[in-house]
Amino acid sequence: MPLNIIVCIKWVPNTQIVNIDPNTGTLIREGVPSIINPHDLNAVEMALRLKEKYGGVVTAVSMAPMSAKTGLEFVIGMGVDRAILVSDRVFAGADTLATSYTLSKVIEKLRPFDILIFGQETIDSSTAHIGAQTASWLRVPYLYYVVDVEYINGVVRATRRLEKKIEVYELPTPCLLAVAMKSNEPRPVKLSHKLRAKMENVIEVWTNNEVGLKRECIGLRGSPTVVEKCIVTPSVPRKKQRFDGQDVREAVKWLVDRLIEDEGLKII
Amino acid sequence: MSSTAICPEWDPINKDEWRGVWVFIETLEGEVNEASLQLLNPGRVIADKINTELVGVIVGHNVKQMLKEPIYYGADKVIYVEDSRLSIYTPEIFAETLIALIRRYKPEILLAAGTLRGREMIPYVANVLKAGITADCTDFDVDVKTRDLIMIRPPFGATLLAHIRAPNRRPQISTVRPNVFRLPERDPSRRGEIIEERVDIPEPRIKLISSQDIRVEEIPIEKAEIIISGGRGIGSPEGFKMLEELAGLLNGVVAGSRKAVDAGWISHERQVGQTGKSVKASLYVAVGISGAAQHLFGIREAMTVVAVNNDPEAPIFENADYGIVADYREAIPALIEEINKRRSKAR
Ligand SMILES: Cc1cc2nc3c(=O)[nH]c(=O)nc-3n(C[C@H](O)[C@H](O)[C@H](O)COP(=O)(O)OP(=O)(O)OC[C@H]3O[C@@H](n4cnc5c(N)ncnc54)[C@H](O)[C@@H]3O)c2cc1C
Ligand SMILES: Nc1ncnc2c1ncn2[C@@H]1O[C@H](COP(=O)(O)O)[C@@H](O)[C@H]1O
Repeated sequence: MPLNIIVCIKWVPNTQIVNIDPNTGTLIREGVPSIINPHDLNAVEMALRLKEKYGGVVTAVSMAPMSAKTGLEFVIGMGVDRAILVSDRVFAGADTLATSYTLSKVIEKLRPFDILIFGQETIDSSTAHIGAQTASWLRVPYLYYVVDVEYINGVVRATRRLEKKIEVYELPTPCLLAVAMKSNEPRPVKLSHKLRAKMENVIEVWTNNEVGLKRECIGLRGSPTVVEKCIVTPSVPRKKQRFDGQDVREAVKWLVDRLIEDEGLKII
Repeated sequence: MSSTAICPEWDPINKDEWRGVWVFIETLEGEVNEASLQLLNPGRVIADKINTELVGVIVGHNVKQMLKEPIYYGADKVIYVEDSRLSIYTPEIFAETLIALIRRYKPEILLAAGTLRGREMIPYVANVLKAGITADCTDFDVDVKTRDLIMIRPPFGATLLAHIRAPNRRPQISTVRPNVFRLPERDPSRRGEIIEERVDIPEPRIKLISSQDIRVEEIPIEKAEIIISGGRGIGSPEGFKMLEELAGLLNGVVAGSRKAVDAGWISHERQVGQTGKSVKASLYVAVGISGAAQHLFGIREAMTVVAVNNDPEAPIFENADYGIVADYREAIPALIEEINKRRSKAR
């Protein structure tokens, strides 16, 4: 039986190049391009390896604005077979509960599926919620921090890494795995694959017409949490003394003196 | 349908039935997790403000000898489930056990440590209950009138802190990274009620096949006294060797910013900051690190902060005790030499 694998990817602002307005303390978002959440590329890689080993179809799902099409083209370039862009204004403002609800309803429509693959967390919100929450909506067993996966006699065997342990678990299908950051180094895009992305129906756009969810379950209204306000982070008071001069040797002497005499550190 | 209709997937709740502040106490590997105990600190403050009890919740197998610890650290009560079916952790089974207790007692707030396992199981707990959850909170407040927990966390790209509430749902759930709060004073003379509960534990759908300890040679950064931390300014893995040499000399460890982790110069376990670790070192040396808010968050509890950066405008200087404006490739070898020189003199 070929595997039906679904991988969820998020389209995120490139936080590497986001800058903060020094006057207002707010983000300068203008001109900041979005990228696929880097940790989700590791998830795509794991999905593709599974497909290569055991046969099957990989579908990528992303809930995002239309601009995420570029990201989906990219993963098709890596070898993903089909992509679904879930995009509708009514989904906007969702917290993790409403986001996972919407994703799970989309995934429901892709049944029967065998393995759902998620990234470990996103670089913009870093909650690591969506995997566990989607598993809960779909009532499928799940595991985080997975570095390697095999599929033997209809059973998923997942190896995961915790800080001081390597664990191997068996899960029935369907199940959900979140891929450990930095594991499963993503492959480069192949031009021949990428050309497929331009073909019709490889990237489908689903609005809420296709998904059919109640307004009170999605977006802002389907979100139990609300952001009330944002305040500037108070900073920890520090001494802010700086060595005054150019000579590096003098500077390090000054530093060692300060650390020993003023801070009482026993470094010598 | 009125615009205030709630999603039919959510059980309606009566907020007034939900009382008490719970801290989920992780007890895996046969000991009480310190990060969980740290949460009795904010938990105590919140419970006192809204005049309710603070409860430590333990679920697991062979937990009996640990039951008093939460009370020593400030809980009024401990509720626990002792069950051999919990001898092996799987996220679902632990989550379902906790959910059963929450349904029985209806606490208004649940705090849990954002350990690897906490981050895995707590969002599932929240989802089953359709509760509002926030990850990686850095502070809390509480609205005494509405009993809403104000969950404070740095949002995306933050020098800002977002204040988040879940006004219509209970419990209100937050995870907190280790070391964000200090461990409360342990007072073994404190007394409190200890209640055993039994719950239906479902058959696990997933099975642990093997578990192997990996030897971790390095001191974890959250325990280190001296940390030499490198950022993108280090520029290469060879540069990190220089930092290691200094760290070795001072009996310290090496850590890094997220950009250093992204570049692959250092492992994620050694990342300092909001999405990495908080450290409590007595000396933190930031080398080639600009001092972004998310990074600074991780060094709030560091005693002395030193910055080495070749850009005099780098924000790290405003957030350090001592600063040297220099190229680290000159400053670090000079520092190593200076320390060696003084040591040989002292001998
Ligand atoms: C949601 C979110 C969470 C985040 N979490 C974290 C986190 O947990 N931890 C974290 O660190 N970051 C985190 N970040 C990223 C953070 O915003 C910064 O991008 C990051 O901390 C910058 O790393 P850096 O200081 O190493 O690099 P840069 O900001 O690029 O700074 C490099 C510095 O090196 C200096 N330099 C260059 N060459 C030299 C030289 N030869 N000698 C001396 N100095 C030199 C430069 O002057 C510069 O100041 C997060 C971001 C987001 C959006
Ligand atoms: N909008 C989204 N669309 C598709 N997948 C998502 C979305 N948001 C989060 N995910 C998935 O959930 C994982 C965890 O995200 P987070 O909980 O935001 O840290 C990501 O790595 C993705 O695999």
